[in-house]
Amino acid sequence: MRLLELKEKQTARVAALDGDARFIGRITSIGLTPGCKLTVIKNDKNRPMLVYSRDTMIALNRNECEGIEVTEAEA
Amino acid sequence: MSEEMTIALLGQPNAGKSTLFNSLTGLRQHVGNWPGKTVEKKEGSFTYNGKTYILADLPGSYSLSANSEEEVITRDFIASGKADVVCILADSSQLERSLFMTADYAGITVPCFLILNMEDVAVDQGKKIDVSLIEERLGIPVIWFSAADKKEYGAFYEAMERAISNKTTLKTEALEELYGKIDGYDEIKTLIPEDLISGYSSMWLASKTLENDPVILAKLKNTLDEKTMNRIDEIRSAVQGAVATGSAKFDWIDQIVKGAVEEKKENISLSRLDRIYTHKRWGKAAVILTILIGLLLSFVPAAPIMGLGQSVSKLVKPVNNGLSDLGCPRLVRALICNVGIQSMSFIIMMLGFVFGVTLVFGLLEEVGIMARISYVFDNTMGKLGLQGKSVMPFLVSFGCTMGGAAGTRVIDNWGQKVLTIALAWAVPCGATWSVVPMLSSLFFGAGAIIVIIAILAVMILHMWITAKIFSRKLVKEGDRYGMIMELPPYHRPKWGSLLRFVLGRTKDTFIRVTKVVMFVCLLFFLMSYSFNEGGDPLLYKIGVAIEPVTKWVGLKWELFMAFVASSVGKEGALGVISALFTGGNFSGAFYESMAGAAASEDLNDILLANVTKPEALAFIFAITFNMPCVVALAATYQEIHSVKWTVRIAVYYTIVALILAAIAYHVGCIIW
Repeated sequence: MRLLELKEKQTARVAALDGDARFIGRITSIGLTPGCKLTVIKNDKNRPMLVYSRDTMIALNRNECEGIEVTEAEA
Repeated sequence: MSEEMTIALLGQPNAGKSTLFNSLTGLRQHVGNWPGKTVEKKEGSFTYNGKTYILADLPGSYSLSANSEEEVITRDFIASGKADVVCILADSSQLERSLFMTADYAGITVPCFLILNMEDVAVDQGKKIDVSLIEERLGIPVIWFSAADKKEYGAFYEAMERAISNKTTLKTEALEELYGKIDGYDEIKTLIPEDLISGYSSMWLASKTLENDPVILAKLKNTLDEKTMNRIDEIRSAVQGAVATGSAKFDWIDQIVKGAVEEKKENISLSRLDRIYTHKRWGKAAVILTILIGLLLSFVPAAPIMGLGQSVSKLVKPVNNGLSDLGCPRLVRALICNVGIQSMSFIIMMLGFVFGVTLVFGLLEEVGIMARISYVFDNTMGKLGLQGKSVMPFLVSFGCTMGGAAGTRVIDNWGQKVLTIALAWAVPCGATWSVVPMLSSLFFGAGAIIVIIAILAVMILHMWITAKIFSRKLVKEGDRYGMIMELPPYHRPKWGSLLRFVLGRTKDTFIRVTKVVMFVCLLFFLMSYSFNEGGDPLLYKIGVAIEPVTKWVGLKWELFMAFVASSVGKEGALGVISALFTGGNFSGAFYESMAGAAASEDLNDILLANVTKPEALAFIFAITFNMPCVVALAATYQEIHSVKWTVRIAVYYTIVALILAAIAYHVGCIIW
């Protein structure tokens, strides 16, 4: 499923990343690589998504989230 | 050794690079742009043990790939060998993620050392780091400290000297082993000979090849034979290399920190403050309120200094009289009083405001609130090609444009900074609000409300069109992407380091701005001064000569002169009008009104007798959207340090103001 479909407080693992070189470079440099665990903190329309991963609160623009596939995981 | 050593600072945004840079160099720093680039270049120097070190602050970037101009500049500078040692910064409160830069650096042959910054925040989180274990695993000097704490710099200097004398480079075996698990890595690496491109090991080049790094691929193409290059292209197109190397880098980081970091299991939830800022409905209101409170607070330190500036202008008359008694020639007197003292008055007032705004908004940045502002306004500002933070300078500009310009300091991308200032000029400032409502109600009575609504509507349209025009060159299409950014944990402010920074910037501002303000005031003086007693000054001659043209945009020559005066300072415009319509001495009128001389008491009657409604409307729009004032111009130059762009923005605004005046005039002619 896509990251955008997750609800608040849901935990998931990154399954795949899809996008241009800039997107891949940027998203991996902030720590979202396949297999890494994340928790959705906020998912409101018209606002960037907030996810928590690798010790970090990350804000992700909604368009940029399109390229992130996740699988649900245990918290 | 007596030659100077060069140290380059490398780190992701928010790793505390500027705090370290400012603490080390103090006031000995120089800000400019990288030659031919729209990226800011900061350099400074410091001495330690009698040796001078040059410190180069590399542009903030998240990695060493080639996704932005900043990253390419950073990489080229390091590989060029201009730095003797690279100081890599990581944020110890978000350790794993911020060690990514270190992982990306592995394989670059320039010596380096690592700083785990923000010790205080990490300790508050309950984190313990075994620095010597990490040092052993990395093979380079590592220290854990807080850049904001001046007492801890001994450890910094010690690590720096160790890195320089031992030429320490990162151990790469463990990382290479992980890269080796990626399909095709081993073969690509054997195809790239060691020392092919200076500064980079073949391991580093092979990993960037897998990441489809366009700059590195082009370099390889130039140096390798066609057959080898074709084989490399074949291998790399078969794998999603960037994702694989990214994973490998984080696996390596996990190995490095394993057993070396002890931390309390944090419960991940938003703090109370963040629950407000990220609230669907109230977030925006909370951000705007925060900025407005910040603006008000910035007047607390600013007010006394601004008051001092104002009283300096009161010296004009006594000094003028005194010099006159001493038999000083008229021209010299005018130069000292109208240019010298008047400019100083403007400059001191500006410094007060710049000091206040830099302090308060620097504080918001340091404690982490600025990142929340970015988050909340990311969507809205993104439409203009800007970061969410740009909302702050816009709001501050309702008070004063120079404060808005000074506030763009928190925007880390130069192109977006210039664009933000260019748009902030369209926001009517406090001085405009002190003139425009009065003029509107005088001419249009209750209709003034409609005029003000029209001004706000035009402001939004102006900003939107200006963004379209200016962003083409300033914010490249490829750089326009939504936010992917960490929200750093809140920090306690470090007053000492903040004040050092603010004082440094204020002094720097003083020097640069003095030049601009003096120059512009001198220019206006020469144009408005009658060199033969009783003769007509140049500006008057021009104004009368082009009146047929300016009349078409609705401005008689008297109004056009007031428009010109409003580019120096808007408060002066009314003084110029009242003097000119009552036949006052032209150059006297110009300068006395600049110095804050009150408009005559019967201003209302003078205006109603001499100006028609459509002309008044044209004049209102002309001064509202004209260049804010000479000090805003200087503040703009100070922030963007580009004469070209400062002049472009000023000329653009003058032309647009006249176009808007013309539209207002002709619309007015239809109505009345």
